Amino acid sequence: MKIKEGFMLREIADSWVVVPVGKRVVEFNGLISLSESGALLWQKLENGAAEEDLLKSMLHEYEIEEDAALADIRDFIRTLDEKGLFE
Amino acid sequence: MGTSWVQLSETLTGRAKEKRIPLMGQFELTSRCNLQCKMCYVNNSASDIQAISRERSAKEWIQLAEDAGRAGMLYLLLTGGEVFLRQDFREIYGEISLMGFNTHIYTNGTLITPEIASWLGQRPPSQIEISLYGMSPDTYGKVSGFTWGYERALRGIDLLRSQGINLKLRMTLVQGNIHDSERFAEFAQERGLEFGYVKYISPRREGCNTYPEAERLSPELLAEFEMNLDKHFGFEEPKQFEHFALGKALDASPFDEWNVESCDPFYCTAGKCSFWSTWDGKLTPCSLLDSPAAFPFENGFLKAWSALQALCSSIPVCGKCSECPLLQECWTCPARLKNETGFFDKPAPYLCELAQRIHGNLKAAQKL
Repeated sequence: MKIKEGFMLREIADSWVVVPVGKRVVEFNGLISLSESGALLWQKLENGAAEEDLLKSMLHEYEIEEDAALADIRDFIRTLDEKGLFE
Repeated sequence: MGTSWVQLSETLTGRAKEKRIPLMGQFELTSRCNLQCKMCYVNNSASDIQAISRERSAKEWIQLAEDAGRAGMLYLLLTGGEVFLRQDFREIYGEISLMGFNTHIYTNGTLITPEIASWLGQRPPSQIEISLYGMSPDTYGKVSGFTWGYERALRGIDLLRSQGINLKLRMTLVQGNIHDSERFAEFAQERGLEFGYVKYISPRREGCNTYPEAERLSPELLAEFEMNLDKHFGFEEPKQFEHFALGKALDASPFDEWNVESCDPFYCTAGKCSFWSTWDGKLTPCSLLDSPAAFPFENGFLKAWSALQALCSSIPVCGKCSECPLLQECWTCPARLKNETGFFDKPAPYLCELAQRIHGNLKAAQKL
């Protein structure tokens, strides 16, 4: 899974915000607000990552049960997919 | 990712105000315009050699955007004058559009060609706001000086719409076009566009051949318009209107969070998380003011932003205004007082009468 080109993740005022740039504004005109863990997953997905890579990152970064982390990751991926943000 | 646009903006603005992060930047790329509206607060002629020589270069604007972005700028407005008069606008916007800002552009739309519209369509800003000065060549000409502007503005609107660019229309209310307000609303609705209006006209900010005070609505007329928006815009049912305020200095119920005791002269975001950069390179709190000013192109953005905050905090609060029983209905702010009276802390007769009229109308309608 890889996020489309044309999005920029920015940390502003203690918030993580994704901004569409260039041509991408045509199909996505707005901002995406992410939690800290969402930003971690987004960064991985910018370069392309499989579910197991994301899980490894989450477990490395946070003290969280594997089942809970996996559920969060799947929820996050589903939301991105619904918004058409994957290549 | 469930946060709405409004919630996110409010959260970011609140934090940025608290931490003094320059979240909102406004770049006035030029003072020149191809129109000559008499109510404009900054308006040099299109071919003004002196004005051209004092404009900052494309490279400087791009650098400023980069520096402000690193400091936390997210929302960026590109405005003028008329931005499409700049021969290097594409160079500026082309770079800035890739930097990760939520960008808006203000224009009168008359210089939009099929080629420019197509180019913008490849890298659209979040929104383009087009000012319409009348709904006929005659009215448009009386307000802006050029009757041909009307057809060109309409062509610009349709060209940008054809590219799927998010547009908003706005009308600057003056004596010469107030009779067109209903037609303006109809036009916006026919094209499915959002619209708003600029209701407060400031005396000019700097020397140019305009005299806004002679063009703006009297306090009586403006208060009446505000009271009867639905009638003036031709709606049978009440609607919510967005009020555009120059420099975003005015919001609804602005004094709710304003603490006079804090000695903070600005109740808005000016100098706290927003700034204006004038065409000749000054960093100021908002569009209406050319002082206090800091100098980002000479001293760097961060130093200038820091200096601007210090300068803003030294602006005196108008004691009479802050104690006035009509404060909640008043449109006062330091920038307006300065332009109206020459002082930050002197009540402005135009605003005082306006507040009295608004108060009287509300009372008459038993809304108080």
